[in-house]
Amino acid sequence: MKKRYIIQYAFISLSLIYLNGCTMLGVQPWERDLISKESMSLSVDDLDASLDDHIYFSKEGTSGGRGFSAGGCGCN
Amino acid sequence: MLKTIQKNIYFYLTACLLIGYANLANAVLAPDFALNNTPIAKQLSDLKGRVVYLDFWASWCGPCRKSFPWMNNLQTKYKKDGLVVLAINLDKEVHLAQAFLRDNPALFEISYDPEGNVALAYQLKGMPSSYIINQTGEIAYSHAGFTPKKAQQYEQEITTLLFQ
Amino acid sequence: MQLAKFKNINALLATATCSLFSNTVLATPLMNASDNSDIHNDNSWKIDTALMYYAETDRVSALEGIIAAKKDFGEEHILSGKLVFDTLTGASASGAVPQKTPQTYTRPSGKAQYRTPSNTTPLDDTFRDTRLQFNVQWSQPISEQDKISTGIQLSREYDYQSIAVNGGYTRELNQKNTAIFTGLSFAFDTLAPEGGRPVPLSAMVVDNTEGISGDNNISFKDAFEATRQQGGENTRNTVDLMFGVTQVINRRWIMQLNYGYSQVDGYLTDPFKVVSVVNDQGDALNQLHENRPSERTKHNIYWQNKAHFDEAVFDLSYRYSFDDWKISSHAIESKLRWPLTSSTYIQPSIRYYQQDAAEFYTPFITDDQPIPEYASADYRIGKLTTMTFGAKYLQELENNHSWGVRMEYYIQTPKNAGFEAVGQLQDLELYEEVKAFVVQFNYSF
Repeated sequence: MKKRYIIQYAFISLSLIYLNGCTMLGVQPWERDLISKESMSLSVDDLDASLDDHIYFSKEGTSGGRGFSAGGCGCN
Repeated sequence: MLKTIQKNIYFYLTACLLIGYANLANAVLAPDFALNNTPIAKQLSDLKGRVVYLDFWASWCGPCRKSFPWMNNLQTKYKKDGLVVLAINLDKEVHLAQAFLRDNPALFEISYDPEGNVALAYQLKGMPSSYIINQTGEIAYSHAGFTPKKAQQYEQEITTLLFQ
Repeated sequence: MQLAKFKNINALLATATCSLFSNTVLATPLMNASDNSDIHNDNSWKIDTALMYYAETDRVSALEGIIAAKKDFGEEHILSGKLVFDTLTGASASGAVPQKTPQTYTRPSGKAQYRTPSNTTPLDDTFRDTRLQFNVQWSQPISEQDKISTGIQLSREYDYQSIAVNGGYTRELNQKNTAIFTGLSFAFDTLAPEGGRPVPLSAMVVDNTEGISGDNNISFKDAFEATRQQGGENTRNTVDLMFGVTQVINRRWIMQLNYGYSQVDGYLTDPFKVVSVVNDQGDALNQLHENRPSERTKHNIYWQNKAHFDEAVFDLSYRYSFDDWKISSHAIESKLRWPLTSSTYIQPSIRYYQQDAAEFYTPFITDDQPIPEYASADYRIGKLTTMTFGAKYLQELENNHSWGVRMEYYIQTPKNAGFEAVGQLQDLELYEEVKAFVVQFNYSF
């Protein structure tokens, strides 16, 4: 009985997910109180990050990830 | 417990359908709900016969802040013509809403929905959201977002209903 | 209980699907799946400034300042610009091996020499550079869900200049719970290093005539000139492609997954670096100017998470990079933003980075082997581990301004990538640690 429900549930979940991509994830528009805080912004410490990126770009063999890496030699 | 899961699935499917057909849902009856914190009515349906500008807002929402002076103006301007501006607060913590109201005084009716039940019933698509409800209690227009340009349009729709 | 369990499975499945989805579509700092919310959006300029001082023990020190300005002209038509100034002086490892006896090398300019004491990593102490960089970026919505952005960046140093243009497109889906981003950038760089670009793998000419130096010594000058390229490539072009997806997972958790592809063509050698040729005693016979391939294809996968606890915000990111020079790396960084009061916070951070050596990296070349086509002894493309420990304190002021101070300690630990030291090199430190201290001030208004 339980098992059947589990399978059924899994099946329905899978189809819903495939139909709707990631709609199961996320929040309702009125539940964005925390997400919308400045501290939760993915780019909140942008200046710090760009300074760090400049150091790492100059001192390490690989760089980037956050955004475009172009511009400047940054040698030595 | 499993019933709950099933219910959730049905709810989800219904929600999908609702979202899909939201555009066609022009003349649906505005879902009724109980009001708190306002002396003018016990529930929305008590306001039948009047045009209601039903707004959903939260303290953390930037455009909501901008809509407050406009809603104040709207209420003052069309009060004598029977307009009710009713703003439902969706903050999880009521004290955040109250702090916001100290900074942004409201000259219109406020009601609180910290659980988001009313918001769910109205299937909000953004913040702020607003619904213009006609004299017969139907949703005549529904909107998401607030910009000066949109506000002009909203006012026009309200006056159409008030003076038709 | 059971429901919670199912919910977890559900979330897992959804995450799995998202990841599949993300291989084809993916995001950058340009996008923000959480707009609707910009409380500071009051149509005035928002200015952020920072001043950073970076100092390595006995090596390079740098001062860098940034002024960034941003303005919303209404309805998310956003103009932003940044001005960066930095100046760098000090010594940098030349790539030559240390020796038990003092050594003399020619400066890259060919106009002077520097001496390295015994048992010391050779450092070329002539680095001095000043850079000015300017960029401007415009972004605007083109519909309720779609946003475009474009920008240009100019950078000018004493011996280097760069111009880059970029464009991006962001689409928000699922009631802004998902945002997908795609972007493209082109950069065109030109170098003119002091003393010119050395002929690849030519030997450094060292003037051993006592008392006659620089311009007066005709034979040295001719010999030096012979190691310099007359024509050839002095540009570097980069194409960057980026795909990203940002996903709100729940009320407290947002994540971003980026894939970046980068194709660089042109002069990719460091004109100031050399590789020592040593005999079986480990004695340096001469120094060859390094040579790197003129193409590099890089891939980046970047995953960032932000989680909101009751008060604190936790940021965890991971980057995996690999390229056709066979350098692959892992970088893990975490930060915890811990509010002290309603207007102050402290933010400790830690970063761990590890990379494998480029396939042409070699700490030295032995004279019994043929000289390879490509060779570099630059420890920065060797096997390397780095750690960064940091802390930041920020205070918001009543007038909506804020100030902050940040400190970092950065340790680079080069590792032996499997090369067997010969002769005297066995007793010398070929992989010297580099330690740096960073202090930074921020002010925003």
